[in-house]
Amino acid sequence: MASTGLSSSNSSSSSYDLSFKILLIGDSGVGKSSLLVTFISNSVEDLSPTIGVDFKIKLLTVGGKKLKLTIWDTAGQERFRTLTSSYYRGAQGIVLVYDVTRRETFTDLSDIWAKEVELYSTNQDCVKMLVGNKVDKESERVVSKEEGMTLAEELGSLFLECSARTRENVEQCFEELALKIMEVPSLLEEGSAVGKRNILKQKQVHHTSGGGCCS
Amino acid sequence: MGFLMCKEDNGLGCLMKNSASVELDSYFPVRHQRQEDVPKTRFKPRVGKTLSPRRWNAAFSQDGQLDIAGVLRRIQRGGIHPSIKGAVWEFLLGCYDPNSTFEERNEIRQRRREQYAAWKTECKEMAPVIGSGKFITAAIITDDGQPIIETSVNGNLPDDFGGKPSDNGSADKRVIQWKRSLHQIGLDVVRTDRILVFYETEKNQAKLWDILAVYSWFDGDIGYVQGMNDICSPMVILLDDEADAFWCFERAMRRLRENFRCSTTSVGVQSQLSTLAQIIKTIDPKLHQHLEELDGGEYLFAFRMLMVLFRREFSFVDSLYLWEVMWAMEYNPNMYLLYEEPNSSCQNGSQKINNKLLKLYGKFERKNVQTGWTEQKTALAVFVVASVLETKNKRLLKEAKGLDDVVQILGELTGNMDVKKAVKGALKIHKKYLSKAKKS
Repeated sequence: MASTGLSSSNSSSSSYDLSFKILLIGDSGVGKSSLLVTFISNSVEDLSPTIGVDFKIKLLTVGGKKLKLTIWDTAGQERFRTLTSSYYRGAQGIVLVYDVTRRETFTDLSDIWAKEVELYSTNQDCVKMLVGNKVDKESERVVSKEEGMTLAEELGSLFLECSARTRENVEQCFEELALKIMEVPSLLEEGSAVGKRNILKQKQVHHTSGGGCCS
Repeated sequence: MGFLMCKEDNGLGCLMKNSASVELDSYFPVRHQRQEDVPKTRFKPRVGKTLSPRRWNAAFSQDGQLDIAGVLRRIQRGGIHPSIKGAVWEFLLGCYDPNSTFEERNEIRQRRREQYAAWKTECKEMAPVIGSGKFITAAIITDDGQPIIETSVNGNLPDDFGGKPSDNGSADKRVIQWKRSLHQIGLDVVRTDRILVFYETEKNQAKLWDILAVYSWFDGDIGYVQGMNDICSPMVILLDDEADAFWCFERAMRRLRENFRCSTTSVGVQSQLSTLAQIIKTIDPKLHQHLEELDGGEYLFAFRMLMVLFRREFSFVDSLYLWEVMWAMEYNPNMYLLYEEPNSSCQNGSQKINNKLLKLYGKFERKNVQTGWTEQKTALAVFVVASVLETKNKRLLKEAKGLDDVVQILGELTGNMDVKKAVKGALKIHKKYLSKAKKS
C-alpha cells in the first residue's frame, strides 16, 4: 500500500545527463521491493508482495554525472515469469537478489534466474549485480559470503551483501551498478541517447504541444 | 479488540450520526506505529445513504426474504456500514438467493461448512500443517516431489508436517504442484495487510493461510497466484467463521479467477487489459495512441489495479467501499442460480425483462441488460480503470514521455482517489462505450 505512495518525489521532468533502466529479479520474498524502497526513501517497512511489476525512479549523481535510474521491481512468483520476460527489454542493469537465510533462493538464481537473463536480456553488455540480502539476520544465515562471491564470478557479475532493514550497502549496490554501466561504452551511449531525447522532446512539446514522437 | 466484538454492538445509531472516521478505525484498527504510512480513508458512513444495520435488518421479511432492490439502492449510494459488511457481501457475491428464507439459508450454510471441513481434511492428509494454527514459509517439496527436510515453520511441528511422500514414489502431479504453492502462500500471508492489528496474531494469519491453501487445492486449475491474498484478506476479517469466509472468497473468485489463470505465455488479467485498451481506443483515441507510442499499448501499468481490485491505490476501508459499490452495481438477480446450477435455464435471455425485474439489477448490469450487451462480460473494474486514466488524461498527454512517466503520474493516484467519483466516471464511460460500440 505505502509502496507506491513512496514513489520518488523527484519530478521526472528534471534534467539529467544519463538515463538507465535497471531490473530487479529473484525469488519471492527475498526483499527486492524492500531494497528498492530503502534506496528511494528513508523508511524501512514491511511491504506487501509485488503484483506484476512496480517502478520507482531515482535521480542521483554518480561520478559527476546526473543520472536518472528507472528501476523495475518484479513479482517473484514463478507464475508471473511469463510477464517478467517482457521487462528485460532494454535494461542496462540487472540486480539478481537472494536471501542469505534461504538457500533455495540462492540456488534458484543460478538454476532459473540467470538463465532467464541469458534468454531475455536484449543488451549483450548488460551489467549484472548479485545481491545477498538480509545480512542483518546473521544467526539465520545459510549462504556464506564466499558462496556468493563464487556464484558472482561464474555469472560474471558484481557482488554485494546488504540489508534493506539496516540500509547496509543498499546505496552502494545501485551506485556501483550505475558506475559499472557508465564504464561500458555501448550502454553509456544508450543512456545518453535517452537523456538527449528527453531534452529534445521537451523542446518539441513546447513548440508543437504534443504530437507523437515514436520511441 | 476487533471488528467482531463490535458486531454485537446495538448502539450503532450514534456511529451513523457522528460518522467520524475515528470510529471506523475501531472496526479495522491499524497498528499504532504504522498509522503514518497508510493512505487516508475517505469513506464515512452517511445517514440516509449508507446501508445501516437498522436498514439492513428491516430489509428482511418475517421468514427472511430480502428486499434486494432497496439494499442495492443504498449500497450504490453510500456503501455498507462496517458492522454488517460481511453479511451483506454474502448476498452481493451470490452466496445466497435473496428470495430464500432464514431457514433455507441456515441449511445451505451448514452444508457449505461441512463441505469446507471435508476439503480441509483432505488437504490435512496431504499436509498435516493445515488447520494446525501454524503455517509454512519455506518449500516442503522439490519440483520432482522429493520432500525437503530443513523447513522453516512458524512454531514447532511434528516431523511429518509436510506429509509423507506418496507410497509409490510417483506422487500425483497435482499434489506436487499444490504442495509447491504452500510456502508461497505463507510468504505472502506474512506480508498481507501488515498494517492491520488483525494480522498481528499468528492465529489470524494461519486462518488466511488455511483458506488460501484449501482454495488452491479445490481450484487446481488456477492454483495459488500472488494477489489472491489481497482478495481473501478482507473476507477473513469480515466473516468470523472460517468456512463462511472461504465461501465468500470462493464467490469473489468466480468473478476474478480468470484474471489469475497463468499459462506459459500470459497471465489471465491481460485479457481484461486488452479490453481496457479497446475501451480507451474507442472513447479517447488520442490517449490510446499516445500510450502506444510510449510502448504502453499493453496497459501493463494497470495490471495491479485489476488484479487486486485497487487494494494498493486505496486505504483498506476505502477499497472495501469500492468493492461493495462495484458488486452492487454489477448485481444480477440470477447470479445465485447460475452459480449453483450452471445448467439451469435461468439465463438472461430466456427471461422477460420488465421494469419490476430490472430493479433487481445493479445499475451497471441493468444497463448491460437493457442494451442487450450480455454476451461480452466486461467487469465494471475495467471501466473504473478507464475512468481513472481519463482523470489523468491531460497530464498523460502533456507530460508523459516514457512509460516511466506514465507510471509516475498514475502512482500519484495512491491515496488521492475518490471512490464515488471513480465509479461515477466509470458508469459514464460505460454508457459512452456502449453507444459507440453499438454504432460501429
